[in-house]
Amino acid sequence: MTQASSWKKKLRNNATGYMFLLPTILVLGTFLFLPVFYSLYLSGHKVNLLGEVSYKWVGFKNFTRMAADERAWIALKNTASFALFVVPLQTAFAILLAVILNAKLRFKNFFRIVFFMPTVTSSAVLSLIFMWIYNSNGLLNRVLEFIGLHGYNWLGDPAVAMKAIMLMNIWSTAPFFMVVFLAALQDIPDSLYESAMLDGAGAWRRFISITLPLIKPATFFAVVMGIIGTFQLFDQSYIFSAGSGGPNNSTLTVALLIYQYAFKNLDFGYASALAVMLAAVIMIVTLIQRMLFAEEKLN
Amino acid sequence: MMKKSGVVLLSLMLAVVLMLSACGKNEGNTNTGTANSGTNQEPAKEPTAENVTVTLAGWGASPEEQDLLNQTLKEFETKYPNVKVKYEVIADQYMDVIKTRLIGGEGPDVFYLDAFEAPGLIDKNVLEPLDGYVTPEFDVADFEQPMVDAFKQEGVSYGFPKDFSTLAMFYNKKDFAEAGITTPPTTWEELQADAIKLTKKEGNKTVRYGFGVAPELARQMFMIQAFGGKVSDAEGNATFASPEALKGLELVTNMHSVDKSSGEPKEVGAGWGGEMFGQGKASIVFEGNWAIPFLESNYKDLEYGTAELPTVNGTKGTMAFTVAYVMNKESKQKEAAWQLISFLTGKEGMKTWTSKGFALPTRKSVAQELGYDKDELRSAIVAGASYATPWQAGSTLPTVMSNFNNQFVDTFMGNSKLEDAMKKAEDTANKEIAAAK
Repeated sequence: MTQASSWKKKLRNNATGYMFLLPTILVLGTFLFLPVFYSLYLSGHKVNLLGEVSYKWVGFKNFTRMAADERAWIALKNTASFALFVVPLQTAFAILLAVILNAKLRFKNFFRIVFFMPTVTSSAVLSLIFMWIYNSNGLLNRVLEFIGLHGYNWLGDPAVAMKAIMLMNIWSTAPFFMVVFLAALQDIPDSLYESAMLDGAGAWRRFISITLPLIKPATFFAVVMGIIGTFQLFDQSYIFSAGSGGPNNSTLTVALLIYQYAFKNLDFGYASALAVMLAAVIMIVTLIQRMLFAEEKLN
Repeated sequence: MMKKSGVVLLSLMLAVVLMLSACGKNEGNTNTGTANSGTNQEPAKEPTAENVTVTLAGWGASPEEQDLLNQTLKEFETKYPNVKVKYEVIADQYMDVIKTRLIGGEGPDVFYLDAFEAPGLIDKNVLEPLDGYVTPEFDVADFEQPMVDAFKQEGVSYGFPKDFSTLAMFYNKKDFAEAGITTPPTTWEELQADAIKLTKKEGNKTVRYGFGVAPELARQMFMIQAFGGKVSDAEGNATFASPEALKGLELVTNMHSVDKSSGEPKEVGAGWGGEMFGQGKASIVFEGNWAIPFLESNYKDLEYGTAELPTVNGTKGTMAFTVAYVMNKESKQKEAAWQLISFLTGKEGMKTWTSKGFALPTRKSVAQELGYDKDELRSAIVAGASYATPWQAGSTLPTVMSNFNNQFVDTFMGNSKLEDAMKKAEDTANKEIAAAK
């Protein structure tokens, strides 16, 4: 009798719990899990949605097609080099900003707001502002000419177009990680610095031997999130190249390529296969990072 | 206590679910409602039967043009009081939005379609064939033939052109006088010589190019054809790297890399040729009718003239761009949609729409009535219609174009050899076309 009632109670508790979760489950299910499984399904099909709707099972053909698709390789290469360039710089820049803010500074709150501004600004708006800065007669070229260097055709020259996006991306994402580092910095007890100072350690030594090791978890987080973010770069290269990924495929990223195949060529099957490939790449890269990080932990 | 809150929660949940499903049902109801009105109408074929709303989608334009279109639509609504037009502007990535909406079954009843995208949509069988609706009064023969043909496949018309423009040569009269050039160039050789004279440098920085050029397929297709080259063959494969095609393209790239007398708008910080020309950063550009109202409103004091494009290889050539109104095959009110199309592309509607010169009429009778063939600035654009290459080349053109543009910019900037770049672009395009089959 008691057992039955407790079982009933448990069931009711569980049911209540799931009821609480229901809105989230519904929202996530519709907008996250369903699309994920649907794109897995699509990636094995040749899909025609416009006109006569048809799904034709093609097995792994969409994936083997990638090997011969030059633009897919260019996109992957662009994306990887973007991540390789942006992530270290944005992490270093974020640490620098955080250390500056953590110092006993006047008008600290003012600087906090100024530093964080790029992150709260919409990236579409930022891209448009930067397109003016990068204009051949824009601010950046004027500054370069003023200090005696020659300017570039930042948006039109394949050699520098991606660099322009990299610079902008570092500038706009670093402040977000700055906040993470700032929180980590404030967790470091002052007594550690004090004792180091008594031992005669200078500011640089304290930074290298105390600050950096102690914010390592934050660094790991910043690097992982940075890599995921950079691998999914879409909006900035989309706006800079008006959706084309040009000039000469120099700003073509994997996410942009997926968009082009899906919505310009209406080849949803192949686009889904590319998306699955991108997810796999990100997962592998993250796993490698985790392994590296865990190894250091053992040491 | 526990129990009570559980019941409250449950009932709340139920309420939410009910509300959601009610919303869904409502939508369904309105859908079937409009469907009914559509089917009710068809057997009657009487436009006065019931009030219907037709959606019309197009891309954005200048406020003046938008006003003019709204005026035309108002005239239509006065003539057909039972049809209301819901006009929607798609601000960006027009074709992506249209295709996605067609897939979702939410496509507009009537929409703009650029000639260059027409073969692709016709192939997909999503456009309504219009021949069955055409009446003798509509007078198809009155249209400029090449513009109507751009929206035909196997003799069936899927759209009627609302307006068109060819490219003409815009030249800055003051720059010409300064350089001592009295008449605009009539051959490509003259253009080359004049462009060198017109190019102005300050230090080692070019502040004004003699010739402002857009390094993209839409503007260079006629150059490919000048020596007998073709953009693509009958199967839709790219063929723009043939020796004949390269001969024409070389003329364009040489002016940039050898003569240093031509530049693209981005090199001088302009968005497009018209802006480059207006800012005085190019003395000659090839632009269409759209540049005239732009220059009029933004650069009032600019003294410029227009002329037909210089001949290449002894023959005249230019590009023609045209846009049609087409009907969605899934439209629920096809009769009303046709009434809208036939009014907008008919003599009356086209006259209002083209009256201010933002666009040129595709009907000969309207063109004659409005006198654009004698207009000082527009006569060169009208004259091009008879020999222009329409901007169209089968359903694979979007793929061909993106690969061409990608590589052509690169070689134009001097980063690669023309022959190699075009070969690479052609191969990539053909690989993509084969893979998509």
